[in-house]
Amino acid sequence: MMIRAVKGLTRRLPIIIPFFWLFVFFLTPFFIVLQISFAEFEYGQPPYVPNFRKVEGLSDFFTQLQMMTLYSYEILLSDNLYWKAFLSSLRIAAVATFFALLIGYPLAYGMARAPRSIQPILLMAIILPFWTSYLIRIYAWKAILQKNGFLNNVLIKLSVITEPLTLLSTPFAVYLGIIYTYLPFMVLPVYSSLEKIDPSYTEAARDLGASGFTTFWRVIVPLSLPGVIAGCFLVFIPAMGEWVIPDLLGGSGTLMIGKQLATELFNNNDWPVAAAVAVCMIVVLIVPIVVFQRVQERDQLRRQQEG
Amino acid sequence: MSRFSPFNAVALTFGFAFLYMPIMLLVIYSFNENDLVTVWTGFSFKWYGEMFANRGFRDAAWVTIRVALISSTVATLLGMMAAVTLVRARVFFGRTLFTGMVYTPLVMPEVITGISLLLFFVNFNIDRGMETLIIAHITFTMAFATVVISSRLIDFDMSLEEAAMDLGCGRFEAFLRVTLPNIAPAVAAAWFLSLALSLDDVVVSQFVNGPGSTTLPIKVLSSVRLGVSPEINALSATLIGLVTSAVIIATIIQKTRTVREG
Amino acid sequence: MTQQDKLISPAPTTDFSPWAEQDQEPLVQFRNVTKRFGSFVAVDNVSLNIYQREFFALLGPSGCGKTTLMRMLAGFETPTSGEIIVDGKNIVDVAPDKRPINMMFQSYALFPHMTVEQNVAFGLHRSGGPAKSEIEDRTNRMLKLVQLEPFAKRKPNQLSGGQKQRVALARALARSPKILLLDEPLAALDKKLREQTQFELMNIQEELGLTFLIVTHDQQEAMTVSSRIGVMRAGQLQQIGTPGEVYEYPQTGFVADFIGDTSLFEIEIVGQEGDFTVAKWNGAEAPVYLRALDDNPVDPAAKFLSVRPEKVTVSREQPTDAPNAFKGKVVDIAYTGSQSVYHVELSPGVTIKALDTNRLRLVASSITWNDEVWVSWRARSGVVFQS
Repeated sequence: MMIRAVKGLTRRLPIIIPFFWLFVFFLTPFFIVLQISFAEFEYGQPPYVPNFRKVEGLSDFFTQLQMMTLYSYEILLSDNLYWKAFLSSLRIAAVATFFALLIGYPLAYGMARAPRSIQPILLMAIILPFWTSYLIRIYAWKAILQKNGFLNNVLIKLSVITEPLTLLSTPFAVYLGIIYTYLPFMVLPVYSSLEKIDPSYTEAARDLGASGFTTFWRVIVPLSLPGVIAGCFLVFIPAMGEWVIPDLLGGSGTLMIGKQLATELFNNNDWPVAAAVAVCMIVVLIVPIVVFQRVQERDQLRRQQEG
Repeated sequence: MSRFSPFNAVALTFGFAFLYMPIMLLVIYSFNENDLVTVWTGFSFKWYGEMFANRGFRDAAWVTIRVALISSTVATLLGMMAAVTLVRARVFFGRTLFTGMVYTPLVMPEVITGISLLLFFVNFNIDRGMETLIIAHITFTMAFATVVISSRLIDFDMSLEEAAMDLGCGRFEAFLRVTLPNIAPAVAAAWFLSLALSLDDVVVSQFVNGPGSTTLPIKVLSSVRLGVSPEINALSATLIGLVTSAVIIATIIQKTRTVREG
Repeated sequence: MTQQDKLISPAPTTDFSPWAEQDQEPLVQFRNVTKRFGSFVAVDNVSLNIYQREFFALLGPSGCGKTTLMRMLAGFETPTSGEIIVDGKNIVDVAPDKRPINMMFQSYALFPHMTVEQNVAFGLHRSGGPAKSEIEDRTNRMLKLVQLEPFAKRKPNQLSGGQKQRVALARALARSPKILLLDEPLAALDKKLREQTQFELMNIQEELGLTFLIVTHDQQEAMTVSSRIGVMRAGQLQQIGTPGEVYEYPQTGFVADFIGDTSLFEIEIVGQEGDFTVAKWNGAEAPVYLRALDDNPVDPAAKFLSVRPEKVTVSREQPTDAPNAFKGKVVDIAYTGSQSVYHVELSPGVTIKALDTNRLRLVASSITWNDEVWVSWRARSGVVFQS
């Protein structure tokens, strides 16, 4: 019996170890964030009043429950800075996703139609910037966009403008930064779904009298939709929570919720409010995240069945 | 897909120019000898010298490398286990929870992962430093490792492992002798990806690092906040050069291996 | 009883039929084995005995549960209920690597990172296994058995389909299993090679004196190689018997239809006329005459009639001696060179197939489309069943 139980356990180790790790370091922290978001703010270390001890009995549980405060959430609701930051993040993420698709789709399409022999090189060229530091790539734009930066210099040389434009610390710079950073995340899934499309579909459509455009619109686009959806999620969700890009490229006028969270935490030391912001972000993002996972899981199941 | 049209060519040219132009400019200007980053006055290695002499950078780089090596190795091992579980065990208790926990970090905004780990460590009185950095990096890179390995495992013919068991191997031995050699390229890719993500990470690290565990990206972020500096240009160009050559070498190795194996 | 009817023996007897002997202990026993995947019942209460040195075929359409049944014997699936007994021991809880059974996988499952030789020797490198020289020796014998010695150092992807199949066979046989399982072993080969390999398999099985269990959806393959066939449908064993039995004595319409070609009719038994049982049917106004092979009465509850095409004669003139002779119109002719199958419409929507061997090298048969013809068969040629 004993041996069998031990055997069963070792066989389950591949489940137990990662499950345990994620449970402790991924799931539990969220509950701590939730708990702290109900705590009261206080200066000092740690900068909040802990309101949960070990629960001793039912009455103690209720006492503890009473100590919970919605103070942080009241701040979020009353101060319209947070509202604006949320809405502005949503807008920035949505617009950036749209432009990433606008640039990324033709790029992926061009890659998929390029000769087979050079496709791996193109693919590598898409992935390569992803391997080079995210920070460096954003930094590169800072050098290009600043007042005496490369773009202004070129435009002045070409006599398009006479006075340098203010490009840095604008919403434009933030959009540009997000689109630039997340473009590979759009191109890769779109390319992989385009690349899988059997060329005989295109040939069949042309054979049945469809023009090049009709073929593209009615055959290629619908078949590449799973990649487009995956790409949009991969851009939208992280863009929504961006902190570094608005911090480096945006000015004080560009509100984003991720940046707000970091400000509360690092500058104002208001941990309960930062935690409440994080909780709200999770609530807003949970729907797209769950949808994304469902799509991924279905895709994986389908591949398993086919394979 | 065939018939490459001029439109395709334009899309490719424009797309790749957009992706590469900023990086190229950065590299070029790193050789500018002028203090003012954007005014080209002459070619020089001056800033590279300054960069290598910078003790802060050297220390931070050493921290970054150690954290990345440890966390990517652990993340790959955990990711391999998670991938095996997800691909093989179709039904088990808590599967939905497990899948959720594995895939969520892929898209979860890093600020959220960062703040929750920070509050977790503070809550349990864990001092922030190398250890917390490593734990945090393992947690968020593991998801990527899992995805890379599981996509290879799905295509792996399960009957190969069954054949090994049929021929007298235990479960673990069958995995070691038959499955692992066949998914090795994916495991290597997962390790490289985790390594790159860890080396590169700034947001999560910013939340969980402590005194004495400043990583290079954190250091770069604080100086970039102040403005563009030629020293950072040199550092960036060095990192880009390192990564590019590593990726190219890895690709060549893989190519020659596939050619040899027919 | 006519002279010709006597020639059809009720049960084909060969010198090897352990299943017919009372005191024979089966090598493998499935006892009420059921396997569910969620709510889907893949194998439904199957009981089956397989004897030493048998070449047993599990035959059925895809998804009928035959592969699941085999995988339970190999140890890759655990039965939801029931017992699997090998050599007197219940092996349900024994790990696959501890069973005296080896399997040849449908995909061959040759390890791509190992050479042919390493693949074959894989199962021999075990702790407590044979010594190194013995492993080499055995590997070489196996390679010789399947005539692959010159390819020992090659990798699987440098082999043809037929060669891969032989490596898989050698690898599975190297461990001298008591039972060899073959999962659709020849499905990936082309027709000529498949037929040749069938005979090779039979020779190897005989030479080594092993028990083979083959899973296939190809009825011709099952008929050719096996000593007995188990026909499966929707998780259940429909019939177990020698190839001759399942062909000539199908117990259900499904078996009759799945094995070989047949025409199925709905019937209703109405009475007896001397030796013949009389039934109304959907083929014609006139009744059809039935008679059992073994002078037992025809099952009065029978609802279906099956008539094999080769048992049906087609002619221009009305035959005089056959009890069942019906007029119809030729609607289709399937000419395959050696033979022709005529589809004759008896009544609207009801056709019968009649096979004619093209013995003469004449270009056109005298019968062609839309011809009015007579089809006839003996009373004993029809088989009836309830489902």
